[in-house]
Amino acid sequence: MSQRVRWSTALQNLKTMLIPGKYGLERWSYTLQRVSGVVVSLYFIAHVLETGSFVGGVTVWAIPDYDFAERAYREAVSFLKNPIFDAGLAVIGLLVVFHTINGVRLVLAHFGLVLGSPRRREILETPASFSNRQRALFWLSISLAIFAMLYTLDALMGVFRP
Amino acid sequence: MRERNVMLLHYATGLAILLFGGIHIWTLFFTYPFQGTIWETTMRFDSMPYAILPVYRNTLLALSLLGLLVSTTIHAFNGLRIILAELIGKRNIWIERGLFAIGAFLVIYGTRTILIAHMLV
Repeated sequence: MSQRVRWSTALQNLKTMLIPGKYGLERWSYTLQRVSGVVVSLYFIAHVLETGSFVGGVTVWAIPDYDFAERAYREAVSFLKNPIFDAGLAVIGLLVVFHTINGVRLVLAHFGLVLGSPRRREILETPASFSNRQRALFWLSISLAIFAMLYTLDALMGVFRP
Repeated sequence: MRERNVMLLHYATGLAILLFGGIHIWTLFFTYPFQGTIWETTMRFDSMPYAILPVYRNTLLALSLLGLLVSTTIHAFNGLRIILAELIGKRNIWIERGLFAIGAFLVIYGTRTILIAHMLV
């Protein structure tokens, strides 16, 4: 098997992956799961690098003295504490909670737990893999994600305080 | 490792993130005493009851952070590997090695951060 990557095919597949089209809610859940996963992965990388700068950055590999650490910490906080990053964290909260609940739904579906009992299907019926309980879990993930976003906004910026 | 077992590892690390990430978010967000935003309460560099450093000094919580770091790295980079394999239509050994290298660096760097914050006096 050759190791050459066909980038034109990859680009076409990316377009197919990102545009759910008319294929229904389960297809939307697939796209959203991938998009949220990639965005949260990028946030995770940035988060590990950023928390590293809280103790002095990539050059510090021994225990620094307390004053140095406190100075590095305050610099990192003053860099991070602005409305743009706070709003970004609220979006991350939204995506993480959606990805979590939808991921639990996918694990349950993988082991056949909330799919209902097998029966004969008619043509053009809704797919058996996306039963009513699966649908309920999908909408639960969406609503909990929106709640998480509002909670994050409140915790970081205090938007719902009197 | 067979793809089927990799998928089981993906689920196992996902559930581990649910546990460790729950602890992580709990220590950050839910302990703030409703006196102000977390910038004024949790994110302070001192030994306030709810500040961030005591979380790292506590050995169990530091270990849970380490577990979160490792399981999130495995989950995230395996997810990226799956998406890239879907996009290019087959597995590519160089993409997988590159992702492994970045993940290994992240684990080492994050472990360093946790250890320094744990042992800071």
